[in-house]
Amino acid sequence: MKTNAFFLGKGGVGKTTMSAAFALSMARSGKRVLIASLDPAHNLGDVMGAKLGDSPREVEKNLFALEVDLNYWVEKYLDESRDELATTYSYNLTLNLNSFFDIMKYSPGTEEYAVLWAIEHIRCDLSGDYDIVVYDTPPTALSLRFLAMPAISNMWIAELTKLRARILEKRSTITRLNPEAPVHNSCVDKDDDKIYGKLGSIKRRLTDLSMLFEQESYIAVVLNPDVLSVSEALRIKDELDRIHIPLSGICLNKRGVSKAPWAIHERLADIPHFPIDFLHGGLQSREDLATIDTTLLVADFMATESVRKGNA
Amino acid sequence: MSSIRKKIVSFFHIIAQVNRDKATEMVEFELKELENIFSLLILGGFVGMPSPPVPIAIELLPYMERELTVMLSRSDMASDPLGSLVSMLEVD
Repeated sequence: MKTNAFFLGKGGVGKTTMSAAFALSMARSGKRVLIASLDPAHNLGDVMGAKLGDSPREVEKNLFALEVDLNYWVEKYLDESRDELATTYSYNLTLNLNSFFDIMKYSPGTEEYAVLWAIEHIRCDLSGDYDIVVYDTPPTALSLRFLAMPAISNMWIAELTKLRARILEKRSTITRLNPEAPVHNSCVDKDDDKIYGKLGSIKRRLTDLSMLFEQESYIAVVLNPDVLSVSEALRIKDELDRIHIPLSGICLNKRGVSKAPWAIHERLADIPHFPIDFLHGGLQSREDLATIDTTLLVADFMATESVRKGNA
Repeated sequence: MSSIRKKIVSFFHIIAQVNRDKATEMVEFELKELENIFSLLILGGFVGMPSPPVPIAIELLPYMERELTVMLSRSDMASDPLGSLVSMLEVD
């Protein structure tokens, strides 16, 4: 059953507006909805007309919203790792490694992982209270990186697990032949080896996130009637195809903003698309979101949901 | 008499242990190389080598005390790896 919706697209195409309008429409139809902004530059609170934080706040009946604080997740994760390091290591090596943690928050990959930890937290700790979780994502580059991260990391984990298994096998051989060998104090069993166990737990977490993206999520790309956002939508489709995440729908936002001739690219033509008219008066309040006609999009989401339910 | 017997048993025990050490020397060398490679793969990002995403390295780091010690000791022989291999194989 698809219980999650992600709205992707180029910066400024209306991802926040579309995700908020979709969430509002679902909430007013009686579903209990959580909308979460993953964008480090949040403006979901502005669109919702409410000050939002890292935990869900009820914006109106059935509609809850939060803005993920990525810095909090990076700090929390690094603090936990630092504490674990301090308790596990038996000598001063910790002091030398500790300095790495100060620069770790700026390392490539950390921000993407922070997004994944936040999604995992929402999935494991919060989503049980809601029928649907809607994600407003950051612009394309970061979104594609965090969507691809579970698949890429799992390839590394698979190789590291194989290597670790070989190490344990060699240790076991040595300990059997020579019980007094220097490695006799080291772990030889997969069940007891903490590194092997940790690799397994990372793999399970990443596989769960892959399942969330590939099977439980409705992925929609928002684009405008202009060449740039369509080109970006094509790149998003290619990247999603590469990591086996199906693209469910295309929201043609701001229809009528320009009179220039325009047509959807043929490679995107097979994907269901939902035209949304340009709001000439702009978004002034939450009620303006309700004027955005998301009927077809909601119907498609619900149809996907019910098909899945039927299959189950 | 008992003391001599103990010494003889101890002598044969030492002989057996030396032979066991000899027998596993190569496998231990291979094991250290594997542990070194494992550490280099995990921590390679810090020195510019291809490596898994840094957060994975951070999650594994707390359990890698032995591997880090092996890696540091391997770095001592980095200037002459062939020499150490040849001396282990007792090639003159």
